[in-house]
Amino acid sequence: MLILLLGASIYVLVGFPPTIASQWGNPKQWQGNPQNSPPQWVGYFTPDFPPTIGFPSVIWTNTAPSGSQDYNFSHTFTFHWSSTKTPSNIVFIPRFNGTFIEAAITWTKPDGNSLILYIGNPTTNVNYGVSDPSIAPWIQQYVGSQTDTTPSGVTVPEEMSALFNRDGKSLLNSSVLQGTYKLRVDMLSSGQGAVLSTTFLSINGKSYGLMGTDLYGRPIQLGVLLGLPWALELGALTSVIAVLFGVIFGGIAGYLGGSKDNVMQWISLVVLALPALPFLVALSYSIRLDLISEAILISALSWPFYAIIARSVSLSVKSQTYVEADRAMGVSSMRTFFTHFMPRLTPVSIAYAALGVPAGILLAQTLAFLGIQPQTVVTWGGILDDAFIQQAAVYGWWWWVLFPGIMIIVASLPFVLVGFALDKIVAPKVQAK
Amino acid sequence: MGFTRFLIVKTFSYAAALIATVSILYVGIYGSLQKVILAQASYEAQQFQQTLVKSAHGSLSQAQILTQVASFKASFLDQFGFNQPLPVKFAYQLYHLLTFQFGSSYFLLAPNGSKVISQIIVAYLPNTIVLFTTGTLLVVFFGTMIGLLAAKSVGGKLDKSIPFIAVIHASLPPFWVGFLLIAYFAYSLNILPSGGIISVPPPTGPLAQSGDFLAHLTLPLTAFFIVNIGGFGYVIRSLVVSTMGEDFVLTAKARGISDRRILFSHVLRTVSPSIATQSVLAVAGSFGGAITTEVVFRWPGLGLLTYNAILSNDLPIIIASTFVLTIVLLLGLYIGELLYGVLDPRIKAG
Repeated sequence: MLILLLGASIYVLVGFPPTIASQWGNPKQWQGNPQNSPPQWVGYFTPDFPPTIGFPSVIWTNTAPSGSQDYNFSHTFTFHWSSTKTPSNIVFIPRFNGTFIEAAITWTKPDGNSLILYIGNPTTNVNYGVSDPSIAPWIQQYVGSQTDTTPSGVTVPEEMSALFNRDGKSLLNSSVLQGTYKLRVDMLSSGQGAVLSTTFLSINGKSYGLMGTDLYGRPIQLGVLLGLPWALELGALTSVIAVLFGVIFGGIAGYLGGSKDNVMQWISLVVLALPALPFLVALSYSIRLDLISEAILISALSWPFYAIIARSVSLSVKSQTYVEADRAMGVSSMRTFFTHFMPRLTPVSIAYAALGVPAGILLAQTLAFLGIQPQTVVTWGGILDDAFIQQAAVYGWWWWVLFPGIMIIVASLPFVLVGFALDKIVAPKVQAK
Repeated sequence: MGFTRFLIVKTFSYAAALIATVSILYVGIYGSLQKVILAQASYEAQQFQQTLVKSAHGSLSQAQILTQVASFKASFLDQFGFNQPLPVKFAYQLYHLLTFQFGSSYFLLAPNGSKVISQIIVAYLPNTIVLFTTGTLLVVFFGTMIGLLAAKSVGGKLDKSIPFIAVIHASLPPFWVGFLLIAYFAYSLNILPSGGIISVPPPTGPLAQSGDFLAHLTLPLTAFFIVNIGGFGYVIRSLVVSTMGEDFVLTAKARGISDRRILFSHVLRTVSPSIATQSVLAVAGSFGGAITTEVVFRWPGLGLLTYNAILSNDLPIIIASTFVLTIVLLLGLYIGELLYGVLDPRIKAG
């Protein structure tokens, strides 16, 4: 499980462009996706949630005859529609440099009937849904040609029915045609220099991917994946710093004993009494948060827990006869500490280092939930905060809440299990007198 | 005699810890605190200028007004030792913090419409204490029971499930548990209120009102309980199991005392000081969770206040509530420590 998590986070770090995390908060980036859609597998239980079919970006080829002044970039997309419901929208977002005179989309149904939608003077990075004023009239006209009465206006569901239903007089009320649809996109340009870059095309159903989308159309699965490396890095770093410091501090306190021990215990009490969460919130206004600073801040507040444990271990070692023997022989206290105390403290620290990782993850996610996180990272706590602000629980958008929370548990669980197992092995040795 | 000494030593140590925590807090927020004070000074000066202009009825020239305002602002800043060397400034500002003079907030208001932060805090603090204390007491009580019962039959069903709930404890985000509880009990089953502290409009009659309050308290308390019970039960179980191996338990068994009685009077008596210590640690550990629980359930305590302050960038509120929460936590730890003193017979003996 641990290996799986590490593999997934390496995949995220390597496989995704680093800019994608900073795009997370930019609603324009996600406008093409269906909003508030449950996961796609919901479709297996009820036909009311047809899937979303997105197309990967393609290489556009110029199909204009050679020698012509005009450029015609075209590509044919095909997809198979097997749901008995119509999708909610079709999204076409052209992205290009230069100018295009026209975009023509030839829509061919499985039975061979086709209609053409024209977009005059398309603008780059604009979301052309079917309700766009340049597209809607063509569908309206098509409805008119089939039913003999041109409606004065069409709603988006009616347009989708026109594109997906069996043709005939009762076009808007007939059943959905299942089969292979063809979409031929032609981008026409009359001059030089018009270059198409990535173009977004998607048949938006009412469900999306493995984990659905949120109110802004952001895929939850992407957010959950992007949050992983950050959570693990922060958890590991926090745990290592806090445990290292706490164990050394507590170990020395227990070893020294007496008034020095009292003072050191008092110092741990002071830090323990600082309420971590509000304190970090207040600090975040004076310190710029990034991975290192957040890890140091969190561990600076959580080491006393480990110090208390290490101190008790240290005390039990101190009562051993070999320590007294060392002292009687005049072995330096430094040496005694490293030869007798550190070997007992090390297994304990490893066990608690494992338990410290989920503690760090949890605290960082809680902070993110309160809105305290670096701007450029995606965190599960942050996603849950969005869900909370948009009242996902009220509207029943369970996927928005469920998956990030489960991810927090999944990321913590292996460390917790390892920690408990190690604790069980280590603890009896400590207790044995 | 022994206990009095213990009391004095602990009181001194906690008073010193209070000063130390506040100093650390002060160092941490130094930059933002100065900003806040400057903003406060400008705000007060503006208020002063307006009243001055109104009351002067044109008898003062513009320049005179401006001099008066400037001297007002300077005296306001002097109160906070603004232009003094750092140690003096520290003393001045610490004094203001320790006497709960936080000034006024940027945006957030107390229920009575006041902008004075101490009034806002006073309105919110009791709710935090109610939720947090009840939750902690419940966790300590049931955690002890579970720990004892699990240790009674080591290897039994309950004993085997304890590590499992402890694992849940270590990996469950409290606010997420709150989310799920709200979605299920408040919106799916529709049997409990989703948040807040009292229905709108509030029911009439003291009985109906307290019933309504309890209904609102149920879900946040449940969330707090679910998240914290596991870890506490686990710790108590290990404590009890290690005590069960002691000689005095064996002696008691040999004397023919029932298992039940050994567990609840002999063992419990012995481990109760440790339970007090563990409770102190649990209080410190669950504090952050309690804050987010408040947020999710819109429970009008300091946690929700802090969250709202973060949303509206109300820095003075954040500083003040951090400070008050520090004191509350320290007080909780202090009470736990005193309880330890009462429970541990060695301390009484001196």
